[in-house]
Amino acid sequence: MSLLAIENLHVGVAEQAILKGIDLTLQAGEVHAVMGPNGSGKSTLANVLAGRPGYTVSAGSMTFRDQDLAQCSPEERSRLGLFLAFQYPVEIPGVSNMEFLKAAVDAHARSAGQEEPAAMEFIQRARQAASSLSLSADFLKRGVNDGFSGGEKKRNEILQMLLLEPTLAVLDETDSGLDIDALQVVAEGINAFRSPDNTVLLVTHYQRLLNYVAPDRVHVLAGGRIVRSGDRSLALELEAKGYGWLDD
Amino acid sequence: MAGSTTDALAQRLLDASARYAPWLDRERARRTIAKDCLPRFRSEPWRHTNVAHWYRAVLDSSGFIARQGAGISAPDNAQVVDFASPGAAELACRQVGGTFAWDAHPLAAANRLLLDAGAVVKVRGTSTQPLAIGDLGGAFQHVLVLVDAGASVAIRETPSQHLHRIVEIVVAGGGQVAHRRWQGAGAAHQCSLLSVQVERQGSYALAQSSVGATLRRNDTVVALAEGAQATIASAWRLNGRDHLDNQVSVNHLEANATSRQLYRGIASDRAVAILNGRIHIAPGADGSDAALSSKNLLASDSAQVFAKPVLEIRASDVKCSHGATVGALDEAAIHYLRCRGIDDSAARNLLTRGFLREAVDDADSETLLGLAS
Repeated sequence: MSLLAIENLHVGVAEQAILKGIDLTLQAGEVHAVMGPNGSGKSTLANVLAGRPGYTVSAGSMTFRDQDLAQCSPEERSRLGLFLAFQYPVEIPGVSNMEFLKAAVDAHARSAGQEEPAAMEFIQRARQAASSLSLSADFLKRGVNDGFSGGEKKRNEILQMLLLEPTLAVLDETDSGLDIDALQVVAEGINAFRSPDNTVLLVTHYQRLLNYVAPDRVHVLAGGRIVRSGDRSLALELEAKGYGWLDD
Repeated sequence: MAGSTTDALAQRLLDASARYAPWLDRERARRTIAKDCLPRFRSEPWRHTNVAHWYRAVLDSSGFIARQGAGISAPDNAQVVDFASPGAAELACRQVGGTFAWDAHPLAAANRLLLDAGAVVKVRGTSTQPLAIGDLGGAFQHVLVLVDAGASVAIRETPSQHLHRIVEIVVAGGGQVAHRRWQGAGAAHQCSLLSVQVERQGSYALAQSSVGATLRRNDTVVALAEGAQATIASAWRLNGRDHLDNQVSVNHLEANATSRQLYRGIASDRAVAILNGRIHIAPGADGSDAALSSKNLLASDSAQVFAKPVLEIRASDVKCSHGATVGALDEAAIHYLRCRGIDDSAARNLLTRGFLREAVDDADSETLLGLAS
């Protein structure tokens, strides 16, 4: 049984078709990369998986852990174990990062019928996870993404992923805007998350993140369809030739 | 008829006898009322608040209430003298009502003529205990706080049943005042005047949280001398048909004073919120640094917000900024929180609390504003 099965998925925004029949299957423990030029529908795919309002699924299905995602609210998808690392994380001044993380972890615990973690124990865990991403403890006291640099915002997404322990992480251009040091830190976070149970869908424009996080499969999205799939070597080919040759 | 209500109140005020603290000067107040100074609805400072409702509440009240209130509890570095006590006249005679212009605050004149509770508090040195100002037990209350040079005090002003209350605070040179003010369930029609005078190098910080009333009007006037500092932070949350009118004026009278005004308000249902935040920089007040930020959330289509920053700058070398926004909760932020497993209503609560916390962040305010988790 696959962890995520996307079948013939058609998605539009305001009458405009963006995804035109996507088929994609992820097994537990796999790392897949979806690559493609700007405007190919990569972010739409990531957002529609997470349940962002404004998208219309006109045909096809998304099945995650035997659940029809289209029938689930964004919070239900999260509690099922689906995590989206945002391309543009939202700034929320006035809500501290720690308070936000605790609220999220508590919501997950309650939905799983477990006890909410004790405050002190959680603070320790959060500090450890932050430290593993080279983020200071002070960072947890600041408003969510409030005044964070681009790199800090992306690392904060990975921090949330590590604390929420999803089974499927969809990382939407998490590598964009990162310098090489930050890229390595983020890649280490993703590799730490990888396990036989944990699955990753990397959505990216460039293959450089794939130098650090080796994918099992690479898919090329163009014009709303997956036009090619292959192993890691496909990413290298794309880097050498660009996306233009796919049109030939 | 609004006109007849106003006239009836004016007559009641002019006829009032000095039953409480007869040593207080009532002549200025009487002159103000006699000059037909009682404001009318739609006149400039009362553009959005029908003051006639308050007049009616005053006319309907029995006048002298003389309830037993929690009163004032003072720290060990402060002395409290009731206006009715023998020493009060000597301690405060000249200063009671000395920090504001009577003509500009005609409701204060009404307060003076109907005054039934008041005290002067003198603060020397410092203390770790707060000065707690509760309900003084009158419909018309007046508290004067005199803070000595270099002294400091934390004021905790809790909800009260008054119809009108004047709080005057005089911070002498280098003195420091941190003032927390909670406005909650009290009289349905409640007006106040907070007048603060900060002398050279003194500082004053107000953190105010308000829930609504049928009519709540807060006039706040702050005067800053050279090098003085003031912070006015105010948060409110209104529901139903609540009406809150905040009129704030921060006056940089001398050079190098700093002021910050921060307002965060939420109006739901059919509530109405008004904020007039004024920064006045007097001629010669060079080196002034003033900022005002006002953000309002409209939580329903029927709620109304009138937010107006006013800048009057009469000096050349000043730093002054202001910004006012009216909007709704950020849907992108709600989605972001939901994507982390937090349900819609919890996400809205978290954002609402975060929004108001930008202005006030103490636990009592969160309880008052219905934000406690």
